[in-house]
Amino acid sequence: MNKYTILFLAIVLVILFLLPLVAGEYLLHMIVLVLLYAYLATAWNILGGYAGQHSLGHGVFLGIGAYVSTFLFIQWGITPWLGMWAGGAVSALVGWFIGYVCFRYGLKGPYFALVTIALAEAFVYLTSNVDVIGGAKGLEVTWLGHRPDMMEFDGKAGYYYIILVMTILGVIVTRWLYQRRSGYQWIAVRENEDAAEALGVDTLRAKIEATVLSALMTAIGGTFYAQYFTYIGPRSVFGEGPSIQILLFAIIGGLGTLWGPVVGAIVLVPIAELARAKLGGSFGGAHLLLYGTVMVLVMLFMPKGIVGLAQNVYARLTRRRPDSAQSAKEVV
Amino acid sequence: MSLLEVSKLTKHFGGLTAVNNLSFSIDEGEIVGLIGPNGAGKTTIFNLVSGFIVPSSGDITFSGRRLNGLKPHQVCQLGLTRTFQVVQPFPDMTALENVMMGAFVRHANPALAREKALRVLERVDMSHKAETLGRDLTLMELKRLEIGKALATEPKLLLLDEVAAGLNTVEVEEILALVRQLNQQESVTLLVVEHVMKVIMSLSHRIVVLNFGEKIAQGTPHEVAHNPAVLEAYLGEEASGA
Amino acid sequence: MFFSLDLLAQALVTGILIGGVFALLSVGLTLIWGVMRIINFAHGEFLMVGMYIVYFLVTKGGWDPYVTLLVSVPALFVVGAAIFRLTIQPILAHPSMNQIMLTLGLSLILQNLALVVFRADPLIVQTAYSRVTFNLGPAVVRVPQLIAFGGSGLAAMLLYWFLQKTDAGRAIRAASQNREAAVLMGVDVQRTYLLAFGIGSACLGVAASLMVPFYYTSPTVGLWFGQVAFIVVILGGMGNFMGALVGGQIIGLTEAFGAAILPGTLSRVFTFAIFILVLLFRPQGLFGGGKK
Repeated sequence: MNKYTILFLAIVLVILFLLPLVAGEYLLHMIVLVLLYAYLATAWNILGGYAGQHSLGHGVFLGIGAYVSTFLFIQWGITPWLGMWAGGAVSALVGWFIGYVCFRYGLKGPYFALVTIALAEAFVYLTSNVDVIGGAKGLEVTWLGHRPDMMEFDGKAGYYYIILVMTILGVIVTRWLYQRRSGYQWIAVRENEDAAEALGVDTLRAKIEATVLSALMTAIGGTFYAQYFTYIGPRSVFGEGPSIQILLFAIIGGLGTLWGPVVGAIVLVPIAELARAKLGGSFGGAHLLLYGTVMVLVMLFMPKGIVGLAQNVYARLTRRRPDSAQSAKEVV
Repeated sequence: MSLLEVSKLTKHFGGLTAVNNLSFSIDEGEIVGLIGPNGAGKTTIFNLVSGFIVPSSGDITFSGRRLNGLKPHQVCQLGLTRTFQVVQPFPDMTALENVMMGAFVRHANPALAREKALRVLERVDMSHKAETLGRDLTLMELKRLEIGKALATEPKLLLLDEVAAGLNTVEVEEILALVRQLNQQESVTLLVVEHVMKVIMSLSHRIVVLNFGEKIAQGTPHEVAHNPAVLEAYLGEEASGA
Repeated sequence: MFFSLDLLAQALVTGILIGGVFALLSVGLTLIWGVMRIINFAHGEFLMVGMYIVYFLVTKGGWDPYVTLLVSVPALFVVGAAIFRLTIQPILAHPSMNQIMLTLGLSLILQNLALVVFRADPLIVQTAYSRVTFNLGPAVVRVPQLIAFGGSGLAAMLLYWFLQKTDAGRAIRAASQNREAAVLMGVDVQRTYLLAFGIGSACLGVAASLMVPFYYTSPTVGLWFGQVAFIVVILGGMGNFMGALVGGQIIGLTEAFGAAILPGTLSRVFTFAIFILVLLFRPQGLFGGGKK
C-alpha cells in the first residue's frame, strides 16, 4: 500500500463518516445497500475468490445469522448486538460441517456449487415449514423505537454507521488474513490443489477454514440485514436471490482480489437500485435483469472482473515487462 | 536404520496389479535411481510413498515412522517431498510466491518464509525470475522452480519424477549438476525416476529396476547395466545407453 | 399421517407419470452436459420460454396444446442454438465456473424478462381434456399427465433412435466420449456442439407442449424444474441417456411419495437429500462409470 492509496482511502473515509450530516435519507439508504453487499461479497470472496470454492448457496449463512439473532430478539428480547455473535457461531458451525463433509468427499468446482445450491434450497423448504420461526411467512423484527442498544434506529444514519464500520473492519480483517500464511494457502489450493498438498499444505483444513470464516462473517451481515430490512423470510434470505447477488458483486468486481467485491458493489448496486426505482415496483425484476446481463457480458468480455481488468490495463500502461505482471497474491 | 524402507508394497487397481510385493530401502545420503520400462509402476510408487494413493498392502516406513494412510501434506511435513513429472506450478503466483508455499511448511511467518524462499531461488539460479508469474516461465525455469519449491520444504528425502524430461542436453547437464550439488552439499537424499539412461546412470549411487510392478534387479549402475534380466526387460531399447 | 393403500397407490401412479416428464426434462440436460461438459443453469428457463410460447399459441391462437409441438420444438431448438452460439460457444474453453456464472446470468435475464413482460401471475390453460380423469384401481389418472408421460416416452425413443442410428447422432456421441478422437475422425466438433445444444433445448419444447395442459406457466416455473433436471442428471449420471430416464422415474416417485407423506413443500427435502447424498457418495451417478 503506497502513500497515495492510503491518502485516497483516508479522504474517502472522512467523507463517508461525515456524509450523514448532509445527505438525505434516500442517498444514505443507497449507500447502506452498497456497503451491505460490499461486506457480504467480501465475506463470500474468502471462500469463493481466494480459496476458489464457488459457493452458490451462501444465503444459508446469511439466513442463519438473520434467523438466529431475530429469533433471540423476538422470543427473549436479546439484543442483536449479542445475537449476531450467536448467529455467527451457529453459522460457523454449520459452515464447518458443510465444509468438512463436502471437501472430505472431494467435492470440487461445479459439484460443490450444486451441493451449496441444494443446501440453500433445503433450508428454504425447512424454514418454510417450521412454524415456530415463522414458517413461510417469515419473521418480523419488532420495532421498539429508537433503541441503539437493540440495533434499532430512527432514520438511516444509525444503520449507516454500523454497516460502514462493519465493511471497513471486514476489509481490514480479510486483508490481514490474506497477508498471513492462510491467504497464500487458499490461493495455492485454488491454483493447483495437488501441488499444494505435495508442498505440505493441509488442503482440507485450508478449505474448511475458508468456509468457516466466510460463514461467520456472512452471518454477522445477516443480523444487520434483519435489523435493517426488519423482515426476513425463507426465500428472502436463504433463496437464490441473495446467494447469487453476493457472488455476483465479487465476480464482477474481481474474484480473488481484495477490493473486487467492494468495487463490484459500488458499481452495480446504485445502477440496479435506480433501475428498480425508475421502473417502479411492478417491475420487481429489473435489477436482477441488469445483474444477469452484466454477468453474461463480464464472463464474455472481462472474466477477471473490473479490478482484474484495471490491473491488466495498469500493467500495460506502466509498460511493465511481461515477466513482472500482476501476481494473484498482490494485496493492495 | 534406513531413511526410507519400502516393504512388500503392493497396489491393485481393480484387476490390475500396478505394484507387486516391492521391497527396497534408501539410506541417508544416497541417490537411488528407479528405472523400468513404461508402465512399470514408477509413478505409482511415487504416489504411494508420498501419500497420494493408499497401498493395498505392505509398509512404507520413513525415519522409523509408518507412512501408510498419511495424507500427502503430512508426508511432506515429515520430511519427504516429491516433485511432479509434469511440472505443477501455481500459474498466477510469482516464482517467489511459488517457493514460499514450500517454505511455509517450516516457517509459518510470511516474512521468514519469504526470506527462505529468496535463498532457495538463489540456490536454483532463479533469483532473476523471482517476480515472474508461474505462467510466464520457460520449461527449464519451471523445472528449476519445481525443485526449488520442493527444496524449500527442507526435505530429508526428495523424490524427483523425471526431472530431465523435455530438456535439451545442455539443460540436462545443468539440472544434473544442481541435483548432485543438493546431494553433496546439502545432504539431501534422493530417489530419482528417470527415463534418460545417461542421467540416471551417472547420477545414482544405486539403482532399482522395475518391470510390471516388480523389482527385477538392484545394484550399482554398473551391475545393473550388465544384468541380463534388465537388458531383457528393456529389449535393447535404452539399455544401449540413450 | 397414515399410510392408506389408496394414498400410496395414487402416489405410485402420479410418480410414474410425472417421472416420465422429469426424464424428458433431463435428457436434454444430460446430453448437453455429456457432450460439452457444460452445466447449463438456464435449462429450466428454456422450459419456461417454451411454456409461454405454448400458452400464447393456445390462448391467443386457439391451437390445441399438442399441436403446438410443431412450433415449440423448432422454436426452442433455434432459441437454444442461438443462445449457445452467441454466449456459450465463445467461452467453451474457459474454466467451468465461468460457464456456470454465464448460464446463471442467462437464467436471471430470461426469468426477469418474463417477469417484466408477462408479470408474475401464474397462467393456466383449460382444454377439453384438462379435467378428464379415469380410475385405475384406487388411483385416479389424469389424462393430461398420461399423455405427457406417453409423449415423453415417445420423444425419448425418437432421441435415442437419432443418437444411435443417424450420422449426426453418432457424431454427438463420439464427441461426448472422446473429443480429440472425434476431431481426428473428421467430426465437425463445433457444429456438433451446436446441434447437441439445440436438440437438448428442443426436448424442452416437447416438454412445454406436454406440460401446459396440466401445469401453470409463470416466469419462475423454470426454477424448480431446472433443479429437478439437475438432480435427475446427477442421479442418473452425467451424459447418460438411460440414467436420465431411470433417474427421472426415481425422482418422480420420490416427489410423489414425499408429497403423500409430508406436508407442503417439505416433501422436497427428500429429493434434495438424495441429491446431496449422490453428490457425496456416488458423484458419477447410478449409471456413470469411472471416476469423475
